[in-house]
Amino acid sequence: MNAHLPLLEIRNLSKSYGAVKAVNDVSIHIDRGEIAGLIGPNGSGKSTFFDCSTGLARPDTGTVILDGQDITGWSLNRIAREGRMLRSFQKTVTFKSLDAEENLVIAGQMFTFPSIAATFGLGKLSRSRIEGLRERARELIKMAGLWDVRHQPAGNLSGGQQKLIQFASMLMPEPKLILLDEPMAGINPKIIERVVDTILYANKSLGVSFLVIEHNIDVVTSICQRVVVLDQGSKLVEGLAHDIIQDQRVREAYLGG
Amino acid sequence: MSLTETVPQARRRDLRIPLAVVLIVVALAAPYIGSRYVTHSLIIALIFMLPAHGLNLLVGYTGLLSLAQAAFFGIGAYTAGLLAVNYGTPFYVNLIAAALVSGAAALPLGIPALRLRSTSFVMCTLGFVIIGQAIAKNWVSVTRGDMGLSSIPKPYFELGPLSFTVSGTTNFYYLALAVGVLATLAVWAIVRSPAGRNMVAIRENETLAESLGVPTWHYKLIVFMISAMFAGVGGCLYAHYLTVVSPLTFQMYYSTTMLIIVLGGGAGMISGTVFGSLLFVGLTEALRVAPEVRMIAYGACLLVLVFWFKQGFAPLINRFWNAIGGVK
Repeated sequence: MNAHLPLLEIRNLSKSYGAVKAVNDVSIHIDRGEIAGLIGPNGSGKSTFFDCSTGLARPDTGTVILDGQDITGWSLNRIAREGRMLRSFQKTVTFKSLDAEENLVIAGQMFTFPSIAATFGLGKLSRSRIEGLRERARELIKMAGLWDVRHQPAGNLSGGQQKLIQFASMLMPEPKLILLDEPMAGINPKIIERVVDTILYANKSLGVSFLVIEHNIDVVTSICQRVVVLDQGSKLVEGLAHDIIQDQRVREAYLGG
Repeated sequence: MSLTETVPQARRRDLRIPLAVVLIVVALAAPYIGSRYVTHSLIIALIFMLPAHGLNLLVGYTGLLSLAQAAFFGIGAYTAGLLAVNYGTPFYVNLIAAALVSGAAALPLGIPALRLRSTSFVMCTLGFVIIGQAIAKNWVSVTRGDMGLSSIPKPYFELGPLSFTVSGTTNFYYLALAVGVLATLAVWAIVRSPAGRNMVAIRENETLAESLGVPTWHYKLIVFMISAMFAGVGGCLYAHYLTVVSPLTFQMYYSTTMLIIVLGGGAGMISGTVFGSLLFVGLTEALRVAPEVRMIAYGACLLVLVFWFKQGFAPLINRFWNAIGGVK
């Protein structure tokens, strides 16, 4: 539906914490099937922008339109459940005492059960829904290369493996759009490759669009078509990834701060 | 070689079913094995197991520390007591009413309290017990104030043409056992359901659960209400068993006892709550005959717990259970 409209459109979003304008009148859009990047020096307001777009924080002003629907002011869980727009966190990654499969089943539950009341059911229907989720979870675990460690509590795995679990979790509900907050931070290069592969797989084969905050410029240029640069809460420039990294203003923002 | 191989094989036989049968037989025959005082202690343990089950859903599975359990226990006790005294209603009506009234009371209390974060939430729930006691003391026209309700009738049943009264310690034990078993099964069903998995997700990481579409606020409120319903059922049994309900039913000591049952038994494990009730309530009640050692034994028990079994006794029980089942 609404194939001509952008998948996500954020207009004039602002958010202040006291006197500090964390995000100042930023507008961006994400097209269907696109992988867009969001970069900027530390403290430029990227994470606040994410929080305000996904319902974790309330924007002071601005509108968030997902797939033609105004979702401004919706809670984080409603945006995930009804909007199928999911987000990752930098530090909060997995349910640590549960294994990979349970992590993924939890991620899928609210998208399979029609209501809260239905989740209290133990009947045949409920069991078959969970079995379906388990099958999908196993497929995704295999794809993420976590098959050998699938019975371990997630908290015992490496940071990179936990990020892969988080990533696989977000694919459970067949999302339209995923917002990734520094997916490559603190993981080793071998896993970076695997995360890149999974992002590209999800994009190409599952049709998921992405908005990625990332400091690793090589990753940004290799997966993102379009990049938006934030600096001190405002949009500095927007354009194709290769042009952006050549841009004088961007260099100054990063170096001159 | 073949000899040494058969020996561990023989030891590996699954002893769980025989043990379960023994436990069931002991539970059923308890009034005839022990003295009347032992039966009384077991009844008290079963009564406190109910609010503890509810609290375990809240603390152990959803990760919300609440001290309000005694308030809902008291509300249940007063509901059942008032119905029985004023209207002479059958036991099951009182039981259901106690559960519903306690659950309903949890709604207006839970809505503001659950907006608070960790420590503030605990302090807020602490207030509910005090408010409950104040109401029980001062709403004299209904609760009869400090005098409380007395001579609450024995539980009686009316099933079609059949009606009977549960009188005597032994019979009350079976009633409490039946309610306790049903409640334990109910907890098991909740925990095993997809909602139970969402509860654990909230305990593990609320923001992450939220980001995966789990309406954490609704779940916390529902679990808070369910937990209060279990407390209400316990309060109903308490009122009928002691035949007296006073404002002292709302006391912090009860809330802490319920918390010790859950944490000492093993939070987030059903077997822990069952074992904890027997140990911390049944045992201390049984030791009432020796008041000089009672509190010392209780204290020693808590010390052992704090130093050697930080997760409560349930992991120990599980290990034992697996060991006798031949599972490594």
